[in-house]
Amino acid sequence: MTTLIHTADWQIGRQYGGFEPEDAAALADARFAAVERIAHLAADEQADAVLVAGDVFDAQGVSARTIRRMFNAMAPFAGPWVLIPGNHDAALAEGVWRHALRLNVVPANVKLALEPGVVELPEARAAVLCAPLTQRHTYTDLTEPFDGWATPEGWLRLGLAHGAVQGLLAEDIDSANPIAPDRAERARLDYLALGDWHGAKRIGERCWYAGTPEQDRFKDNGAGQVLRVRIAGPGAVPEVEALPLGRHRWRTLERRLAVPSDVEALVAELAACGADEILQLTLTGTLDLAGRARLDEAIAAAEARVRALRCERGGLRLAPTAEDLAALHADGYLGEVLAELREADGPVEQEALALLAGLLAGREEAAA
Amino acid sequence: MKLTRLRVAELRRFREPFEISDFAPGLNVFAAPNESGKSTLVRAIRAAFFERHRSSGAEDLRPWGDSAAAPTVELDFTLGCSDYRLVKSFLQKKRCELVAGARRWEGAEAEDHLAELLGFEYALKGASGQKHWGIPGLLWVEQGTTQAIAEPVEHAAAHLQRALNASLGEVAATGGDEVLERVRALRRELLTATGRPTGALAEALRVADESAARVAETEAAVRRHAEQVDRLKRLRDEHEAETKEAPWTALRQQLAQAEAALAAAEGLQREHDAAAAALRQADGLAGLLRQQIADEARRQQELAARESTRAGTQRRHEAATGAEAAARQALATAESRFAAARAALVLARQEQTRAQLGRDLAAARQAADSAAAALERARAEATRAATLRREADALAVPQAELKTLRQQSQRLHELGIRQDAVATRLAFELQADAGVALDGAPLVGQGERRLTQAATLTLPGGTVTVVPGGEDLAALVREHARLADERAALLQRLGLASADEAEARAAAHALKSQEAESARQALALLAPQGLDTLEAERSRAQARHAEAEQALAALPPAPDTAPPAVAAAEAEATAAEQARADAARQAEARQRERATAEAEHQAAVREHQALAEALAAPERAEAQRRQPLALADAQAQQAAAQRGLDAVQARIAAARPDILRQDVERLRRSADEAERAHRARELEVARLAAELAAVGAQGLDEQLAGERAAAEHAARRRDELQRRADALELLLGKLESHRQALTRRLQAPLQKHLDHYASLLFPAGRLEVGDSLRPEVLARPGQRGEERGAFETLSFGAREQLGLVCRLAYADLLREAGRPTLVILDDALVHTDAERLERMKRIVFDAAQRHQLLVFSCHPAQWRDLGVPVRRL
Repeated sequence: MTTLIHTADWQIGRQYGGFEPEDAAALADARFAAVERIAHLAADEQADAVLVAGDVFDAQGVSARTIRRMFNAMAPFAGPWVLIPGNHDAALAEGVWRHALRLNVVPANVKLALEPGVVELPEARAAVLCAPLTQRHTYTDLTEPFDGWATPEGWLRLGLAHGAVQGLLAEDIDSANPIAPDRAERARLDYLALGDWHGAKRIGERCWYAGTPEQDRFKDNGAGQVLRVRIAGPGAVPEVEALPLGRHRWRTLERRLAVPSDVEALVAELAACGADEILQLTLTGTLDLAGRARLDEAIAAAEARVRALRCERGGLRLAPTAEDLAALHADGYLGEVLAELREADGPVEQEALALLAGLLAGREEAAA
Repeated sequence: MKLTRLRVAELRRFREPFEISDFAPGLNVFAAPNESGKSTLVRAIRAAFFERHRSSGAEDLRPWGDSAAAPTVELDFTLGCSDYRLVKSFLQKKRCELVAGARRWEGAEAEDHLAELLGFEYALKGASGQKHWGIPGLLWVEQGTTQAIAEPVEHAAAHLQRALNASLGEVAATGGDEVLERVRALRRELLTATGRPTGALAEALRVADESAARVAETEAAVRRHAEQVDRLKRLRDEHEAETKEAPWTALRQQLAQAEAALAAAEGLQREHDAAAAALRQADGLAGLLRQQIADEARRQQELAARESTRAGTQRRHEAATGAEAAARQALATAESRFAAARAALVLARQEQTRAQLGRDLAAARQAADSAAAALERARAEATRAATLRREADALAVPQAELKTLRQQSQRLHELGIRQDAVATRLAFELQADAGVALDGAPLVGQGERRLTQAATLTLPGGTVTVVPGGEDLAALVREHARLADERAALLQRLGLASADEAEARAAAHALKSQEAESARQALALLAPQGLDTLEAERSRAQARHAEAEQALAALPPAPDTAPPAVAAAEAEATAAEQARADAARQAEARQRERATAEAEHQAAVREHQALAEALAAPERAEAQRRQPLALADAQAQQAAAQRGLDAVQARIAAARPDILRQDVERLRRSADEAERAHRARELEVARLAAELAAVGAQGLDEQLAGERAAAEHAARRRDELQRRADALELLLGKLESHRQALTRRLQAPLQKHLDHYASLLFPAGRLEVGDSLRPEVLARPGQRGEERGAFETLSFGAREQLGLVCRLAYADLLREAGRPTLVILDDALVHTDAERLERMKRIVFDAAQRHQLLVFSCHPAQWRDLGVPVRRL
């Protein structure tokens, strides 16, 4: 029985622009942590090899420190690692891989397949047919040569590639770096480890996308896992199991608020969020002043608790009720302005309304 | 509120009670001159209301010097439906009482009730001031303060505001201005007064811009880097392909082929060179032979020419010999003619000399004779001159002594005259023989004697001694005697008897001297150079004569026939000499010609002979015979060599070595260039790789991602702040415009009353009040549309009029709100001109229809036309 860990799309060096700087730094750090956990997992599982199917780095131009940190993170697993470049870190004439080689930080147990070819793992009695990307985009199937490559008799025949399986991933039709859906069969592979798709996905019984081990976007498609692949021997159907590994949960909450109970429900939902969650709130509907205060408080509380929270409330209208206005004691021209702003819809008017309401409420508080 | 009765007592000038009990409900005009108490009445009304009865502020009410006085004011008035009586005493008897029907208030209570009714306050301490007066402060106008409306309005603002709100039945925002100010403050944090970003917003905008610029910069760098990476890839591929292909190898092969072809072509050139050399050799040989044949022919021609030369020179030699003989003949002839001419010339000259000598002899004799005669005469003159000179010298008196003598005589004469003048005269007339003698000498007859010294006159009876007196006479006598002695001595020395003789001798001397001079001059004419010269001249003339005689005697004897004239003989001699010289030159020339011709002839003979002998050599004949054969051989060789050369040239032309040479050069360069380019690309690849490695080490993408994140963050913050700024701007605008609209609405009733009065004062004019209800702008039609003037900038008169207009408008407003509106005008409108006063009077009259007005004035005539009696105090 051979045990492999299949992972991909580490996207080391990725930055998170949409977040506050400290959150962004934590998210970037999380990617190294994920690699470290993979290494520990591989060690724990006594894996025969770890296959990394491309997009190890998020970009070509990453700092030396980032490169060093990544290879450091791989240290806990001393067995063989096979890495291929993907579209983000293609093995260009000059780029991140050459930088890494120059830094002399690639340990002996880490095989970098920077050119198409077979990487032999004699201890595992496995040959890894590698289809690295050597340019950012190719429009030919780089796995096609697999069909003709010979591997030692009696060894496992494993494929490692990065790209879009044609026809299966609807949105990737006509995309660059195509891969034939039946490549595993045609090239007589025991297992074809793919990267590029950020969620774990089964293409066939011998062909999987591992997905990124640490979720990095709000799209929830099974990211944050690695695959443990067990193969009894050449020709045997592999047992594939997705193991959760990611730390952060990226969630999108789209809520329409109409009645006070909607707000209550959202508040409860926010209260339930854990520290490792990254939330994207998209709110629409209307709020009275009380509801708004409640929501603001809940969001502030959640912000302090979760890893990161982004709130899009452009579609949310502040609509003070008559009681709200009465409570604000806005008479005379203040009342007129308040009423006028209540009627208006634009974001600036909404902001103005919130400001005025805030000022009036503050006044009330001061009076009370 | 209507005042119905006023009574004052013990108050300033009104020590006795004074009462007015017939106030009209409308207009009441009180006119009185200054100091007649009208201001006191106004003060009394004010004090009754404003001053607390216990106040020390009422001290000014005390009659002058009356310490026991209790100034008292009594007022009856109607307010609403009630009639009130107010009695108030100050100072000595502090008291206050207010009665309204059955109700009655005392002391402070009464005063507070009163304040509540009328809308004013009391001073907490001391005299009441403007700020306490509220509505009455606005409507009771003190002397000269009509125009100063700002403060009274401020102090009555609460009442006016209440009146306005009451009339509108609406509430202004509670604390609205506070919110408005807060919004302004918030806006100021982000925007300047003119709406430009400031503070955090400006900073956010700047940061966002800078971030975006940094992102764009890094993006460009990343793009450049990517392009360079692609380029590196391309270069590497090219390099590898080329390394495999090695295009320079093929080029080198081509080069080798071209070089071989060129070498072959260069071999042809050598063949060409050999053929050309053979041809040149054949050409040389044939040329040599042709030259030899030509030389032979030339030599024969030369021999003939020398023969003809020899004949010519012989002819010329013979001719020259003949000419020489003729010339020698002519020379002999010319020489004999020359000899004859010489002899004739000698003879002619001898005879010419003889004739000359003859003439010289005669001249010399004559000269000797005349010289002897001149010498004789000169000698005679010389003798005579010497004699005369001697005679003259004998007569000579030295000139100096003659002069002395003349001076002495003159002096003596003068002394005699002076002696005579001073001498004692002794005149006498005696008879003959009277026996009288003077100094012994008898005196007779009539006469006179002058005595210059003592003299003894002998008379017949004795003697008389006469002594002339005076020193002078004696001195004169002595001087005379001295001089006479001196002259006598001189004369004696000169050998002269007297002075006259000296003069005679001097004259004779002069005459003789003239004669001697004349003889000397004659001698000088005869012998200018002296007698010796004259004598030498005569000796020379005699010598010349002797010489001429001697020469004549030495001449040979004269020929028998007369020789020709010297001139003719000389001409002949010259001509003959010339002819002889010509003939000699001719003879010489002919001789030289003959010698030349002879030499030439001899040379020609020698040359001809030498050539003829050389040509006559026997071996030459054989050589001449062989020459044409040799030439024919040589020409055949020439033709063969030419053919060989042509053939080689044709092959060279076909091979084109020049082009072959270019091919070699071209291929060599191409191969070199291909290798150079290959090496250059290799270097470029290495350079680019190093460069990209260096850039890659900077982690550009990571940097870009970081910058993008920062830019996104900055943009978010900018947008948030911008939205907040926009919202504040909007909010502020809305609050301000609503507030303004509300203010306008609130002020509408007041504005209505103001318009009512203002249009009476300024037709179509309009007085606008601001927030604080103070008049702010007067708008009226001008020449160019509406003119707007700030209240504070209007003239004093206009402000006074508008001040009153405002007060009346406030009164109207207060009346509508049910407030008391008694209006008191103390000497108002004193700065108003007649025309405006007319208008103001209409306004006052109109106001009096609704309010009770008390008008106090010191100009009764001004208020006569208001339809009410002008009362005097």
